[in-house]
Amino acid sequence: MTSQFPRSQAAIVGIGCTEFSKNSGVSTFALAARAVKAAVQDAGLHVRDIDGLATFGISDSVSPNLLAQALGIQSMNWYLDQYFGGSVSVSVVAQAALAVSAGVADCVVCYRALNGRSEVRMNGSSDRPMKGPWDIQFKLSTGYIAPAAEIAMAARAHMLRYGTTSEDLGRLAVLSRNHALDNERAMMRTPLTLDDYLQSRWIVEPFRLFDCCLETDGAVAVAVVNAERAKDLPHRPALVQGAAWGGGVNIVNNGQTDLADSPAKLISERLYDNAGLGPADIEFAELYDCFTYTLLSQIEGYGFAEPGGVPAKLADGAFDRATGSLPVNTHGGLLSEGYLHGLNHVYEAVEQIRGDAGVRQIDRHDVGLVAGQLGYLSGYSSALVLAGT
Amino acid sequence: MTDVSLAPVPDRDSEHYFAALAQGRLEIQQCGDCGHWTWPPRPICSFCQSDNLVAKPAAGTGEVHSWVVAHRPALPGLVSLVPYTIALVRIDEQDDILIPGRLVSDVEVRQGLRVRAVPRKLTDDVGEVLWEADETAT
Repeated sequence: MTSQFPRSQAAIVGIGCTEFSKNSGVSTFALAARAVKAAVQDAGLHVRDIDGLATFGISDSVSPNLLAQALGIQSMNWYLDQYFGGSVSVSVVAQAALAVSAGVADCVVCYRALNGRSEVRMNGSSDRPMKGPWDIQFKLSTGYIAPAAEIAMAARAHMLRYGTTSEDLGRLAVLSRNHALDNERAMMRTPLTLDDYLQSRWIVEPFRLFDCCLETDGAVAVAVVNAERAKDLPHRPALVQGAAWGGGVNIVNNGQTDLADSPAKLISERLYDNAGLGPADIEFAELYDCFTYTLLSQIEGYGFAEPGGVPAKLADGAFDRATGSLPVNTHGGLLSEGYLHGLNHVYEAVEQIRGDAGVRQIDRHDVGLVAGQLGYLSGYSSALVLAGT
Repeated sequence: MTDVSLAPVPDRDSEHYFAALAQGRLEIQQCGDCGHWTWPPRPICSFCQSDNLVAKPAAGTGEVHSWVVAHRPALPGLVSLVPYTIALVRIDEQDDILIPGRLVSDVEVRQGLRVRAVPRKLTDDVGEVLWEADETAT
């Protein structure tokens, strides 16, 4: 069955964020409230205009009902509190777009707030470990529980099949860092060389320290309204031209025989079909980079390079912000801007589409692809095509 | 030495699997209707949707598809082991079942390395799978 997303009927009209840091000093509740307020102010709207809230997380943040009550929103028309991590980082936006397109809500704000460094760490080492998903029982005794280990396993399979090297992964880390250097939101603004990368310590081979994203305290929020209403608001709307989410293959799901295959392929065809365009029409991409390898695998999976073809394009500078044919992660991504669980990629894409990215502004910025974690761990992924009007 | 903190908490679908490992057996569910194998243990066959899944002793053999070397212990009970290798093993019963476990043999790991399951008891009710190089493989 073909799945049709309501093309360009909703738009992101407001964006907000807090400072990204290692210790926010405040609760995730406070971070969420600040980012949501900033997003509606940016949209030229008021908190009382919000009638829907959407978030995601792994039981590590504040839920929409509590936030709505705290913000004084008397009557919510729609909400979403999605369990899961980066795999749903943009499907929450897609579902908000569905809600406003269908008319069940007028203004939905999607947010992600986390104290990912100072409170609940993803590697399970904090005093408040996250409650693992169902399949953790089959990995626990092995210590195969941090996302780094599982995705390093896929990176190894890719190396074995295509000859991908540590240097190739390192060039992705350097690319991301270069894009963060002049980003005032970024946590990592000191230069990184390939040599620095190769000298960095092993975390879980084949991943070194700089293959891994940051741990961050902070929040991001984006406001979504229908396309008609968006016309009356101050900024150039970023229309949700297409979206796809789902997929379905992971380690506990029979049907996978080679980890080198990009799981993003499972949704990319549907994404392009829904958006009515193809990879050649995409002008920039903000891809989920919890690790360097997920960036590589999505460049393949969304059709920007043949399988095994990323290293050659990378060496040619194809993904550089200033000169590349397809600028990728123009803000530095999760690797160097901050780990806002992927919603910061949406924020960056909207700034680029508006032409408001300042020194980071790219020339061709009308059509961007934004993707969530590509389909490891939960087995699901999500992606959007955002476009300027 | 067994570290109880590494023992997972099984659920009603997985308790038989972990109990068998504690008793020294790797058991994988096979569908009594269509014959497909399922891992991890679940309540329904994902190929024919039958609930007639039967836990059967597996051959316990397979080959390494991929591996990582962990340099940071994910849990306190693993501190003394780092760095250690986690192998993802394609079992001989079915090519889309990939089971992770520590590789305990001191061999140069490679894709295709033949390995054998070594069940290890963690508590009276719960065991885990380790993998060792299969010296008998040709």
